Amino acid sequence: MHDLINRWISRLFNRGPGRSRSRPLFALAGALVGMAAAIAVTGLWHLGATAQPSDAPVELTMLLHVPEAQQWRTIADRFEAENPDLRLKIIEGPSATNAIEDLHTAAFILGDSPYDLIYLDVAWVPKFAAAGWLMDLRDRLTPAQLAEYLPGDVAGGRYRDGLYRLPFRTDMGMLYYRKDLLAAAGLEPPETFMELIAASEQLQRSQGVDWGYLWQGKQYEGLSAMFAEVLAGFGGFWVDPETQAVGLDEPAAIAAVEFLQRTIASGISPPGTTTYTEPETLRLFRTGNSVFLRNWPYVWNEVNRPDSPIRGQVAIAPMVHAPGERSGACQGGWGLGINRATRHPEAAWRALEFFGRADVQKQFVLENSYVSSLRSLADDPDIQAAYPQYRTWVEILDNYAVLRPPVPQYAQASDILQRYLTAAFSGSMTPTDAMAAAARETRSLLGTA
Amino acid sequence: MPPSPSRSRTWPTVFLFLAPAIALLLLIYGYPIARSLGLSLMTQNLGTQLEPQFSGLGNYGRMVGDGRFWHTLGNTAVFTIAAVTIELVLGLAIALLLHRKFWGRGLVRTIAILPWALPTAVMAVGWAWIFNDQYGVVNDLLQRLHLISGPINWLGDPALAMVSLIVADVWKTTPFVSVLLLAGLQSIPDDLYEAHAIDGATPWQSFWAITLPLLMPQLAIAVLFRFAQSFGVFDLVQVMTGGGPAGSTETVSLYIYATVMRYLDFGYGAALTVVTFLLLVATVAIAIALLGRRGLRQL
Repeated sequence: MHDLINRWISRLFNRGPGRSRSRPLFALAGALVGMAAAIAVTGLWHLGATAQPSDAPVELTMLLHVPEAQQWRTIADRFEAENPDLRLKIIEGPSATNAIEDLHTAAFILGDSPYDLIYLDVAWVPKFAAAGWLMDLRDRLTPAQLAEYLPGDVAGGRYRDGLYRLPFRTDMGMLYYRKDLLAAAGLEPPETFMELIAASEQLQRSQGVDWGYLWQGKQYEGLSAMFAEVLAGFGGFWVDPETQAVGLDEPAAIAAVEFLQRTIASGISPPGTTTYTEPETLRLFRTGNSVFLRNWPYVWNEVNRPDSPIRGQVAIAPMVHAPGERSGACQGGWGLGINRATRHPEAAWRALEFFGRADVQKQFVLENSYVSSLRSLADDPDIQAAYPQYRTWVEILDNYAVLRPPVPQYAQASDILQRYLTAAFSGSMTPTDAMAAAARETRSLLGTA
Repeated sequence: MPPSPSRSRTWPTVFLFLAPAIALLLLIYGYPIARSLGLSLMTQNLGTQLEPQFSGLGNYGRMVGDGRFWHTLGNTAVFTIAAVTIELVLGLAIALLLHRKFWGRGLVRTIAILPWALPTAVMAVGWAWIFNDQYGVVNDLLQRLHLISGPINWLGDPALAMVSLIVADVWKTTPFVSVLLLAGLQSIPDDLYEAHAIDGATPWQSFWAITLPLLMPQLAIAVLFRFAQSFGVFDLVQVMTGGGPAGSTETVSLYIYATVMRYLDFGYGAALTVVTFLLLVATVAIAIALLGRRGLRQL
């Protein structure tokens, strides 16, 4: 046997007269073709194994960040129960929303995104729509149906003339405060920035509270959202959507940065604020050692859990503002869009319709303290009983909503603002220089330099 | 070596056997580099509806005035030089320790390699909490030892954030260096040390006269590997600081990632990649040139 193989190999590679110059080449070519055939067969077999038979339930895939993925369990199960021919597979992603954005982007760039439904933050819509990754939904809804949603949320789903996102839930930034601490010191909830500082300082001195005002200052998207509110509170603006003018180097913006810088410098806010995102500030607030917290509606359920030390002691108010200006509440909010390259567009639309139904939204709101985008739920008696401040939330949004710039290059504009804000907070640049540089870079980004 | 009589007949066969490996290398290394080069001559971003448009050297011109790129290069250089230097010194010390015989040496060697084996992203989260200003272990220890009066904001201060990153990276990759150097130490024959001791040399003199020169090839390999790896560090920085306060810990790979993935500016990202690649190749080439031909042959 051994001998046979030896002879075969030596014949294959023996350079005899005439034919053998091309023998090794033939051998190599044969080997390569064989390898290619093996790979092709394996690939096709794998494809065949994963192809669904035509009568199997259609499976829709969606990517959600972990905290919300768990909250969606009940309504996802209800969706599958009411639609036996559809399945909803929720893939859990990181809790940082810019990581989810990157995952979606990577999947879309590869050209074969596995996600049929896209859970969209309001800030992503212009970028995803401009890149042509989302299905246009404008013909699927009548204006009457759209009017049932809060107008800010619907606007957040538009890009140019198309509608790419159906609102699911809305979000707005607000001020949480310890009503027991304020009452003990005989103070009213603050309405202006100066009142906030004064109340914090007084309570830190007299009641021995550790921290006055907690906010998110890390270099991430939440910083832009938080800053948009303070900016609006001083009467400033970031980017005007009509004229594309940049307002970051105006006096109002510089005053906003100086206010935030002052909270850290005077000890009202912890020095670590420049590393805090929402979970860190919530954790600090829950220990009971702080008076004020700027955060989103989900905090309400968290601080009122049975094991929370500050259960029942928390109230909410719109963010503070400068005298003569209005409060600002950064409009967040999430909605559902459809991947333009999905293999199941009709099934995906049915899912969107289901999750936009009033009873499904009501169930979701009652289980988690989120705010639905449907206007009618604000009048629902069950919701009012569970969340007495629900009306306040909707009012804050109606009156004080601040949108972040709805431009496709929003990610880069936000990065620019984040970098220069953290430079100002850490003291490596003065607020004036930092904001001037931020304005300059944003103008050259938008092409309005 | 005398030329083999059948050399003219074996070379094509040798080449044929090498061909699949060369093809694979070209595919994995050559194709992405060539594609990046091509893409860097195009403009492809949201402004062009993600369609490639030829723009020649426009991206490179833009890079010259891009302060953020040079800033990130500076950050990367600082990070790389500091981390690699500390790792070399520490790695050599650990390798010398592990080279001696002591009870439990096998167990200690296994434990010493653990940081290298653990996933970087997971440990980066751990390190971020270790350096947390309110709940972190470092602040707690320093305050208990009365070395500081109040908590230090490690990840919120531009300079200290870089220090934290370097500490985390040194912890992670020193085992790699120490294992490399340990292998080199074990190849040095003991008779050299005996002879040197008989001549009246102290261990310190033996170290400088015998160990270091004979360890040069492994030291060079360790430096080259670590330099190339450190230059491209991404996961540790992204998870620990995300580019840090005011972009003070943003390394080149983070900037390129943001340009391509977040801003969808593919052409410019490709140009950044090409320039970074060329800089890295140039640095390694200089290092090899400094090593000299003799050093290369020793490698």
